[in-house]
Amino acid sequence: MIKLENVYKSFGDLEVLKDINLEVKSGEVVCVIGPSGSGKSTMLRCLNQLERITSGKIYIDGELADEREMGKDLKEIPPEKVQELCTELGMVFQRFNLFPHLTVLENITIAPKIVRKKQESEIKKIALDLLKLVGLEDKKDEYPSRLSGGQQQRVAIARALAMQPKIMLFDEPTSALDPELVGEVLEVMKKLAKDGMTMIVVTHEMGFAKEVGTRVIFMDEGRIIEEGDPKVIFDSPKEDRTKSFLKKIL
Amino acid sequence: MLTIPQVMALVDGTILTMQLTLIGITAGIVLGVLLALGRISKSRILNGITWVYVWAFRGTPLLMQLFIIVYAVPLFTLDLFGFPLRLPILAAAAVAYSLNSAAYLAEIIRAGIQSIDKGQMEASKALGMSYYQAMFKIIIPQAYRRLIPPVGNELIMLLKDTSLVASIGLFDVLRTTSQMTNATGKAFYYIYAAIIYLFFTTIIQVVFDKVEKKYSIYD
Repeated sequence: MIKLENVYKSFGDLEVLKDINLEVKSGEVVCVIGPSGSGKSTMLRCLNQLERITSGKIYIDGELADEREMGKDLKEIPPEKVQELCTELGMVFQRFNLFPHLTVLENITIAPKIVRKKQESEIKKIALDLLKLVGLEDKKDEYPSRLSGGQQQRVAIARALAMQPKIMLFDEPTSALDPELVGEVLEVMKKLAKDGMTMIVVTHEMGFAKEVGTRVIFMDEGRIIEEGDPKVIFDSPKEDRTKSFLKKIL
Repeated sequence: MLTIPQVMALVDGTILTMQLTLIGITAGIVLGVLLALGRISKSRILNGITWVYVWAFRGTPLLMQLFIIVYAVPLFTLDLFGFPLRLPILAAAAVAYSLNSAAYLAEIIRAGIQSIDKGQMEASKALGMSYYQAMFKIIIPQAYRRLIPPVGNELIMLLKDTSLVASIGLFDVLRTTSQMTNATGKAFYYIYAAIIYLFFTTIIQVVFDKVEKKYSIYD
């Protein structure tokens, strides 16, 4: 579904991703953990081209989406093609980033309307189904500022799903939430996982990673240090760095 | 009191003032949006051109710009191309006010756009929108509300600055009243000018306050 090959990313002199190799198959729920500044979020942002990789290859849905060497494009992939591949990826941000000038329903319908150019009635039906999925049908005409953080994040998930992506990327989706609101967002994510959605989740919620993750990746200083089955990683990590990280947070 | 010809003259002056103000603000906003997009664009050329435009029009007196567009451009074009590019004075003045207010509005609009959280553009891109789709559907509509007070400010400035056209031979509100004063030796005619300006600035102020409130529903 998604493959990163020898991916490097630098911001100026600062190397934030070093030789990342990762393959995510259909139906997997990959949880990425690690200390802050370890490159987890940057890796997600490189996948959907919010950041450009410095070198390496990215495949989305089996097709080459980006190939670079020392910051230069090796193979010119037409921007429309890249944009099309990126719409296979839905993204949920730490700070929700809902559009405050649009109602909940409009937040969900705007992208299908102007990007996919689908029919209004069809879009609305999909949007209402999604609102039902995240449990917020009664909020469809509210503006985001009237919702709690947890509700906003659930709308953000519905908004991303409305583009009918094949893979969902979650960038610390519960880190900006009050503790009592974390559960409702995780519930929605569990539902998605159960329905077979392919997901990459950058998270500090170890409980979620253990329960829902099919694989856990531990990153530190821009590298993937260790990866494997959640049980194995949490109960008997091999690497010292993984051990000391888990000791600190568990 | 005013005689009927004096009333007619004041009406004509008011119409001229309003024409210049409305053309200036409308053309200024359209051109201002384009200039603002140039100022924040990644293209160095667009960036440079729009920077120089804003620099030139903000950095020189409006009166000088009026003189250049009304008097100097016909002479330059006569020398260069053999024919004078001469507009009617009112049209030339309207061009000058549009170009000038565009420079100020461009900075207002640029600052408004840049004040919108970066996450909005990222979320738009993550949903597959192009840069311009995101700009016109997501970013600029959110900037509207923040733009209302400074644009109202600019509109009031523009209204008052139209009095400069007296020096290129046009009869606006102020010049009409000062001519009446010169002809009669009575200074109270200026009060009429003040009333007319205040009448329109009051309308602008009230309308802009209302619009700002209307846009605050989603905050």
